[in-house]
Formats: sequence, structure tokens, C-alpha cells
Amino acid sequence: MRIACPFCGERENGEFTYLGDAKPKRPAMVAIDGGAGAPGEAEAFYDYVYLRDNFAGEMSEYWYHGGGCRSWLVIERNTLTHDIKSVRAAPGAGAAKAGAK
Amino acid sequence: MADFTWTTRSPLQQAVIAGRHGAAIAKAGIRLSEIRDFDLVQVFARRGQWAATAKAAKAYFGVAAPTGPKAVTGKKGVLVWSGADQFMALSPRLGTIQPVDGLRGVFEGFASLSDQSDGRCLIRLSGPRVREMLAKVNSLDLHDGVFPIGAAATTSIDHTAVNLWRDADAPDGSPVFNVLVFSSFADSLWHTLVDSAAEYGIEVETVSIAVD
Amino acid sequence: MASAQSNRLAKGGLIDRNAPLSFTFDGKAMIGYAGDTLASALVANGVTLVGRSFKYHRPRGILTAGPEEPNALVELRSGARREANTKATTAELYDGLDALSQNRWPSLGFDVMSVNSLLSPIFVAGFYYKTFMWPAKFWEKLYEPAIRRAAGLGRTSGIADPDHYEKAWAHCDVLVVGSGPAGLAAALAAGRTGARVILAEEDRLAGGRLNSDGGEIDGMPAGEWLAGALAELEALPNVRIMTRTAVFGVYDGGTYGALERVNDHLPVPPVHQPRQRLWRIVAKRCVVAAGAIERPIVFSGNDRPGVMMASAVRTYVERFAAAPGKRLALFTNNDDGWKTVEAAHRAGIEIAAVIDSRKDLSQHHRALAQSGGFAVHNGVVVDVKGGKTGVSGVEIALANGGSAQIAADVLAMSGGWNPSVGLSSHHRGRPKWREDIAAFVPEGAPAGMLSAGAANGDFSLSACLRTGHEAGLAAASDLGFKGRAGKAPAASDEAISISPLWHVEGRKKGFVDFQHDVTASDIALAQREGFESVEHLKRYTTLGMATDQGKNSNVTGLAIMSELTRRSIPQTGTTIYRPPHVPVAIGAFAGHHRDENFHSVRLTPSHHWAAERGAVFVDTGLWKRAQWYPIAGENDWLTSVNREVLTVRNGVGFCDVSTLGKIDVMGKDAGAFLDRVYINAFASLAVGKARYGLMLREDGIVMDDGTTSRLAEDHYFLTTTTAKAGPVMQYLEFCRQVLWPELDVQLTSCTDQWAQFSIAGPKTRDLLREIVDPAEDLSNEGFPFMGVREVRLRGGMFARLFRISFSGEMAFEISVPARYGDAMARNLMKAGEPFGVVPYGTEALGVMRIEKGHIAGAELNGTTTADDLGLGKMMSKKKDFVGRVMAGREALTAPDRQVVVGLKPVDKARRLRSGAHIIPKGAAVGPDTDQGYVTSVCHSPMLGQWIGLGLVERGRERIGEIVRAHDPLRGEDYYVEICNPVFYDPEGGRQRG
Repeated sequence: MRIACPFCGERENGEFTYLGDAKPKRPAMVAIDGGAGAPGEAEAFYDYVYLRDNFAGEMSEYWYHGGGCRSWLVIERNTLTHDIKSVRAAPGAGAAKAGAK
Repeated sequence: MADFTWTTRSPLQQAVIAGRHGAAIAKAGIRLSEIRDFDLVQVFARRGQWAATAKAAKAYFGVAAPTGPKAVTGKKGVLVWSGADQFMALSPRLGTIQPVDGLRGVFEGFASLSDQSDGRCLIRLSGPRVREMLAKVNSLDLHDGVFPIGAAATTSIDHTAVNLWRDADAPDGSPVFNVLVFSSFADSLWHTLVDSAAEYGIEVETVSIAVD
Repeated sequence: MASAQSNRLAKGGLIDRNAPLSFTFDGKAMIGYAGDTLASALVANGVTLVGRSFKYHRPRGILTAGPEEPNALVELRSGARREANTKATTAELYDGLDALSQNRWPSLGFDVMSVNSLLSPIFVAGFYYKTFMWPAKFWEKLYEPAIRRAAGLGRTSGIADPDHYEKAWAHCDVLVVGSGPAGLAAALAAGRTGARVILAEEDRLAGGRLNSDGGEIDGMPAGEWLAGALAELEALPNVRIMTRTAVFGVYDGGTYGALERVNDHLPVPPVHQPRQRLWRIVAKRCVVAAGAIERPIVFSGNDRPGVMMASAVRTYVERFAAAPGKRLALFTNNDDGWKTVEAAHRAGIEIAAVIDSRKDLSQHHRALAQSGGFAVHNGVVVDVKGGKTGVSGVEIALANGGSAQIAADVLAMSGGWNPSVGLSSHHRGRPKWREDIAAFVPEGAPAGMLSAGAANGDFSLSACLRTGHEAGLAAASDLGFKGRAGKAPAASDEAISISPLWHVEGRKKGFVDFQHDVTASDIALAQREGFESVEHLKRYTTLGMATDQGKNSNVTGLAIMSELTRRSIPQTGTTIYRPPHVPVAIGAFAGHHRDENFHSVRLTPSHHWAAERGAVFVDTGLWKRAQWYPIAGENDWLTSVNREVLTVRNGVGFCDVSTLGKIDVMGKDAGAFLDRVYINAFASLAVGKARYGLMLREDGIVMDDGTTSRLAEDHYFLTTTTAKAGPVMQYLEFCRQVLWPELDVQLTSCTDQWAQFSIAGPKTRDLLREIVDPAEDLSNEGFPFMGVREVRLRGGMFARLFRISFSGEMAFEISVPARYGDAMARNLMKAGEPFGVVPYGTEALGVMRIEKGHIAGAELNGTTTADDLGLGKMMSKKKDFVGRVMAGREALTAPDRQVVVGLKPVDKARRLRSGAHIIPKGAAVGPDTDQGYVTSVCHSPMLGQWIGLGLVERGRERIGEIVRAHDPLRGEDYYVEICNPVFYDPEGGRQRG
């Protein structure tokens, strides 16, 4: 398989590491001051940490270009054909060119 | 009280043996050299500060910082792209000042700096067979039309992350490739390079960047 | 005395008669010529019997002239280089080649196992499956040894392969697989447009069937045209011709696997050169011009030595000037077989007869028979007469009901051609049946792949040239290459006609799969027993599962099944094609990565100094670390380690700890970032201070630990364990780039930048005062515990100094740029000389951390929580952090969890071993009484006995309890006492002193 890193161009998959489904979003960090966290957070984390769909077809996935530019990527890939539809950088890769905070 | 001397030792000191190696072919197909005595600073632009970082780099190095996989040469050194928002500034060793201290004023508030002068070894590969030899250890297409002079890449050699860029051609017309490799891997990688190059005949030398 | 080349033709062939080569076959000396394969040299020497079959040990001869050969498998070379199952048909002859036939005992001519042939009723299809059903005790003692003796191909040498293999990458616009007429036309068309072309040819010579079939192209003899085409391709700088290179697989994204047999044609590879090279070719487009494979017809005795594929006969005669016989009969169902008769006739071989299963004979063939003076029979061969070394004649059943006997010493057979659909089917493409040529052609090929010529079912020379040109041009223009491709080379022959004939019923065995001894009756048996699906047929009969992967047999086998089940061939279908298309040695896949090059090695900055001192090294991940430093007179490790520990505890020692992962965490939000990834607070850490930190995974389990220092407001220096340096960096990048892009944080690994040494022991300050500039205040007040700052050293150096301790002693870590690491080790020895300093290795480091109850990898094992490790109180209640929520789960906070405790054997002389299970005293051993296990052990010189850490259920409530350490692995069972994990200096006064 070959992956077109948005920063480096097309590379062989040996330069990349697979993480998994990019759909689940980590519940936000919350303010804690000696008290409890957010209501329902245990369930939210249970979903985030453990519940995964088993895709036969297109899914978006996290990949890490660790053998190259160390960018995290979000890749839309078909698990049946290995065809890659899109590759984009994670929001924090290239943050210096994003708008100043 | 004892006197202390601080002799430097390159991680390649034991591996690099100047002279001819490998196949006994009249003209070595591969020239391998370790480039020593450089300062290397990783410049990593802060959030939203790329434009300011690039401007500062231009003012100091006299060349625009690379925004993509390129290596550009300025009056004070070579800037090698090393990832999103980052580049490596390679220059002859000053010795009088820690490399990061020398640049701190230039990038204050715009970019984070990390000294990598000892974190990497710099290996230069050239010779008429250099592309064939690199094809054994790296997956990139280094064809002239795809990887011209000034092209750079963050990639892997033998599963080890490296910065690779193409320099101006050698006097004999051979392409020249520079490889920055993590210091602890350098000895091992050097042996892999020598093994890959052996069938073409190798000429090994050590070069100081200051006199290069 | 070498035998004369009795069957070598007087002239012709692409061999060098001025370069004779000596070789032996089963010890018998013979002579061939440069340009020969082993098979052609055997043919030239009149050898017909070359091997015994796999199951029945039937005598077999050379069947083909190519990589599809099922019979002529030999062991080549000797000693460590002995290689089994080498095809004589592709092995290039070299001077001194020694080949042994396989699968025969005691000799090829007299094989006692051929009695299997008499037992064949029990060796039928499904034999293995039925045998596995037999009683197990019979299987192990009786059947398996017997079967192993009887069946199986060549022997391995059992010795490490002394040759070097390597891997390489190549890139091109258009990869052309095969250099026959179609491949050459494709390469010329694509190459002329300016596209980068790789032309891969499995053979030593480019040309494919042009080297065997001749013909006329663009008005000149094929050989002449071939030379011109190759000269043009070689002159094009954008074209690379790779001979001896077989493309064996198609992988995702246009990546092709290919095996280059760089030096298989030499007895031993030249020094510095690999034997084989495994290529990964990245190609934007691919033209498969891999040709076709002629298929046998199944009839009684079709495996007798002397029965040969018609195209192979032609190759031996034309390319190698070697006559497979003196009197040839041809059995064919198509026009192409007739070309063999023409070639043999031209070479002066007598034609006995042509047996053509088709009713109508073309005018051309009729004329040929007349001029050649041979008979043409409309009928089929029903038996082959002869002995184990050859054919004496054939028996024919005529279409008109009669029969005939013909004397001949070689029978050429042609059942038509199967296009090579292997590569085009590697992505689950299912080939399509074409009735007009009675063959499967590619369908559903991977993106970017075209097939041309015989590989696509276009068998005539003219069609090969035309479709090759078209495919090459199409591939290049698709990529935007606009150069002039010129005209397609032209030839004037016509498409061949065929009338399918798969199987002739006969009295004796007719073989479908020669290599696995699968007969037509095996297929019939499989059908009767219900294994009708082709996938079942394959597994039940082992059809197509030998080293030739069914290249000769698969289509015929399924055609016979389709006849038996009265389904069409397309309805019957094909099995799935998977890489590799040709056998590839594991050594080629491993390439450079074996022995000392199995993986890359990382060396510490003081490595060479340690090696000079005779340190013993241990592999820690990729790192080589000094494990201990033996001195004169010490010859067991424990003596050295005890000495190192005692010297540190009573004096001073140092250890290279550069392998710890080091990360510069920088930016405005660096503190906030660390607050999120560590369970304890870091934003509040003062500049110039270090703090021990613990990270959890999202599921609440501990990920890693380490000391992190604040060097500036916006700069932290984070350390990880040696093992987790890479994973932690990757994780932190995930946090930075994916989870919290809003934070201004930059991460850079600086593991290799710094040489870092731990200096420990009560005399640490004395040593440091020798080497550190006297102006630097190292007192408790001037440099308190967990303090960090840059200091000047004597001799004009600077260093980072951290007052942290892993050993529990008064300790500092000193850090200098890595190029000074070697000097630092030497200078520490010099500075410490008055105080008896020793370097210590990872063993002493381990002893001291266990004595102090400090956790390491064995406790940070992916199952433990912060509280399990006794670090629960570190979890901040004032801020959120990764793992906080899940760490609060019931199971992770249950009171009966296994927690870290100290363990010591009740019998002080006993050695404690890690891995032993903890069982309550008096309880029976079993999973329900298992309460934990020993994680880390050492011999403590301070306590004078073996001690350890363990994870024990409710351990902290059970200090003082005696439990059983049960070790079924080593057969040990003894009592240990649960104790405080801090064995030494529990108040911690020493490290703060």
C-alpha cells in the first residue's frame, strides 16, 4: 500500500503506523478542582475507549508518518479494497500556518 | 586537582575507515563520507507563527525557510525541511557558543529551538552508482526528474528515520545525497550502507563541514 | 569419462559451442555448453529419466522447458548451499554444476518406494484427510514416519545459507512483465514516448518464444529483429531491462514484487555480491506480457519419460540444439502443436506421426505431412509404451473406431495454451473463459494493469506484436507521455485454431498434476465424494498445491471436473490466485536483515569506552547497554554485580543512562500540555526543578514514567523509559496534533543529543567537586534534591546537572552533548579515582532499584494502575488528565487488586525467581488460589539474600504474611514473606543527604 502524505508525497506503507478508527472523539478535558468530573463522563469514555465499529468498506483512520515527517494523518480508506480516497493532516500538524491564537 | 580535557568523539569514529573498501574496481562506484563539525538546530515554528518564523529565518540566513520538502542554502547555512512547521538549520560549528543560544534572539517568541548538533550524524553519499546503492536501503524514487538538486525528504533507511536531501552534483557529475541520521543509529547504519555499496567499490573519507 | 552429447544437433541453437561446461547428474560426468540450462544439457546428453514423482515414485522425465516444470526438480550444489526443488529447466548450466535427482531411494533407476504405485488405491484423493481420521497412536508411530519417507520433495541442507540476499526498490511509469514479442513491442512503444520503463524478464535472455519459435517480423528473421529491438531499448536512457528477474506478485498501490536471480547461474556468488535480490517495483502502469503455458492432455501413460510438451520439444531443438528424441510423434488438439513437427523436421528429426484429435486438417498441415512423409491420424493417444527411461511407441484410438500402433521415442503433446493470468488475478480478479481459444483470459485486473499478447489470449506472433504495442502505448499515453511510439512491428501469421480435448479415458493412470501425482481418477473420486467446488477439489486432491502451483494442471483439472458435473467451465470457476506467482526463498524476503543485521543497533555515547573496559553488553530493545563491567579475577556475573552495587552504596559509581527517551517539550502551553498527559502537576513546577511523573493510557492503566525537568518557562525536558521512548513520542504527537491542536506545543526528540550519566553513592559530591567548576555550589542548599541547572565543568565544558536518584543513593545525573560522552566517562573515572569509583551496568542498576522498591518495565506491564504501583496518591484531584475517568472504574479501584509488594524467601539461602506464582499458605495450587506473581528479582548484597518485587492480591494489607511461591516452570515450590517493597533505606535519607 502507498500513502500520499500531504507533506511528503506518496510513500510506502512501511513508513507509517496504523492506529485505528478516527471517528470516535475524545471527550473534552474538563475543569476539576477536588470535585467530580463531568456528568456522564464514565459512559462517554467507555464509548471512546472501547466501542468500535467493524467496517467492511470505507472508514476514516488515524495513521502516523513516524518513518517520515511525524505527522498524524486522517485517511479515508476502503478496508475491502485498500483503496485510499483521501489523506489529510491532523489539525495540529501544520498549526504554525493556521491562524494565530 | 586533576586536569580534564574534553575530546570529542564521533559516533562514527570506529566505523569510518578512510580509504578503499568493497569490490576492487578501478573507480569506486560509491563515495561515502562523514561530515563533521557542524551545528544543527531544529527550528519548530509555534502555533500561528510560521510567517514570523520564515521572516526571521530570511533575515538571519538570507534565504526563505523551506515550506515543503526542500533544502535551501543561505549565507549562514543550509535549511532543511524536516516536517510540518519545522526545519533544521545546518551550519559550520561555531564552538564559541551553544548553537541554540546563537539563534535564540533570532526566533524569540516565534519558534522553539532544539539543539540536534550531537543528535545526528551527517553522511554524504556520492559516486556513479549511488542511486543503485540507495535503492537497496530506501524506498524513495531518487530519479533526477523526481528528486532534483535541492529536494529533501524525511524518510527511513533500514527502518531508521533520516533526513535526506540532494546537494549539488559532484565534479564527476555524480549526484550527491546527504543523510542526517540519529547518532545512536549511525554506526549500525554506516555498516548497512557499506554492505549495500560494497559490490560497486567504495571510497571512504571524513570531511569537516568547515573546509568543505 | 564424460558421455558424448549424443542428442546434440550439429548446428544451431543459442549456445556457445566454444564454451563447454562440465557437470554431473547423480554423480555421472557430462558436458554441456554455455547457454544451456541443466535440462537442455541433460536432453543433449540423452538423459530421459530425471526424477521420481512425489507420491507414487513413478519415473519422470523433463516435461517442459520453463519455470512451470513439475518433474525435473533437482538438488543443486552441496553443503550449506544445497538447494532443493530447483527446476532443471530454468537452472543455468555452469562449469562444475553438481545436480542430484530427488525423491528416490536408493537410486533413481531403482526406487523401492515405487511400490507406492502398487499401493495407489490407498494413496488416492483425500488420502491425508482420511488418514488423519485414523487412531492417533498409529499416526505418530507408524503412518507419519512412513509417509514422510515415502512422500516429500528435496532435502534442506540444515545449515545456515552462507550467501547474501538483498532487497531493493525500483520506480517506473510502465512495468512490462515479460520480454517476448508482446513485451518487447510494449516496451518499445512506451519507451519511445519518453515514459520510464522497466522490462522484466525471468529468463537469462530477452525474447521469450522468439528464441524458440523464430518467425518473421517486419520482413526480417525474428532473431535479427530481436537484436535490433534490444539495441534500441538499451539505447533509451529511460528504459531499464532486468533479466533473470521474475515478477511474482502484485501488491496494493501499484507495487510489484520481483525476484532477481543475480548469481544463481554461478556456483558461488562473486565476493560482495548477493545471490538474489528481491525487488519492490513501484509502477504507475503495468503491461503483463508474461505469455502462456502449454497444457498437457490427460491420457494413459502421459507421465512416462519421453512424453514432453510440444512447445518444450521446439525449445530444446531450436534454442538449445538438443534433440529430445530421434523419432517424434505429436499428439495435439490445435495448430500450434504442428509448429513442433515443422521445427523437428527442419532439424532432421524423423517424424513418426501426428495424432490430431480434430477432424479437419488444414491445407498447410496436409502439405507438410506429405513433404515430411509422415502419417496424420485423426484420433487420440490411449497408451504410451516403453520403460522407465523412455517411450518406445504409442497406441492410438482412431476417430473412425480403429486403432494403430506407432513406434516413436518421444511423444510431444499439445492441449492448447493457458494465458498466464496469475498476476492479473492477484487482487481477486477472476479470469474469464474464452470459448474460441478454450482458455481463461484476464478479467478484473488490478488498477493500472493491462495484459497483452499470449497472456491475454492473443497467441499468434502478429497479434502479440500488435497488442503489445497497443498496451505499451496506452499505458504511456494514459500517463500523459506524448512522444511518438512509431508503428507496431508486423508479422503475417494467423490465429491458431483449437478444439478442446482435456482427457482421454484409458486403462491406466492419466496424470493431471504431475508434481502431486493427481490423476483423472482422483478428480472423479473427489466428485463422487462430493468435493465438486474447485476450492474443495484443490484441497481434497492437492491439485495445484505443489511448487508449480498448478501452472500445468489447474485448468485441466477443473475442465475435467466440469465434464464430470456437466457444468460449463465458467460455472465451475477457478481457485483464487495469490502471490507469489513463482517460489521465492525466505532468504530473499529477509534480505540484509539476518544475523548481526537482523535489526539496526543503537550504541550509547560511552559504548566504545565500555567495550575497551571489557563490559558485557545486553540487548535492550535496539540498544546495546553495558550489563556489568567485570574486572580481573571475576568470572561470574554475580560477583561483578555485587561489587558494583556495594561500591555505589559505600562509595561512588556511575552508569550511562543515555538510553532513556528524551523529549524537548516547548511552547507557551508546554506546562498545560504536560498537566494533561501526566497524572500529577507540571504547570506548577518551578524552573530549575525536576519532578517524577506518571502517564496513564486512556483506559486508566499506567503507560510510562520518568523524570521531567523545567529548563525554562516554555521548555520542559521530558524523559521516558528506554523501552517506551518511541511509543511515548508517538503518543505525545497524537495528543498535540489530534487531541489538542489548540495548545501551542512543539515536541522534538533529543534522546541522541545528550550523553547522560547517573553518578550515585555517598561520595558523589566528592567526585563532582573534582570535575565541576569550584564556583558551582553543590551543597544541599545550593543544589537541593530534584534541582536542575546548567553548570560549568573544569576544562572549559558545560553540563546539565540533575539531582535525581534511581538508586536511592545521593545521586546526580550529568548530561553533556553526546560527542563528549566518551570523554565524560573517561573523566568521571579520573575524577573518581581517589574515591574508588566504578562504572556500573544495568544489572547493578536493577539490583539497586529493586532494593529501593522502584518500579520498572516488569511492573509497568500494561495491566497495572497507579495505585497498584503504590503511586495512587500522585493522581491530581485538581486537574483533568488522560486516564482519569477510566482509572476510576470499579474494577480498577477494587480492594482485591494485585499490588506491588516486596517478597523474600523465608529460607535466606534460596534463590527467588521471577514468574513464580503466589499461593496462600496451605491452599491447593490452582487458578482460583493464584494471587499474583513475582515480577522482578535480584540478589541483594545489602541484605545478603535474594529479594524481589511482586504483584500480590491485597498485598499491602498482608505485610509479614508467609505465602507459597509456586513455580511449575522450574519445578520449584517454597515459602516467601510479603514485605514492604522498599528493602533498603525506607526513610529515603540517603538520597536527600
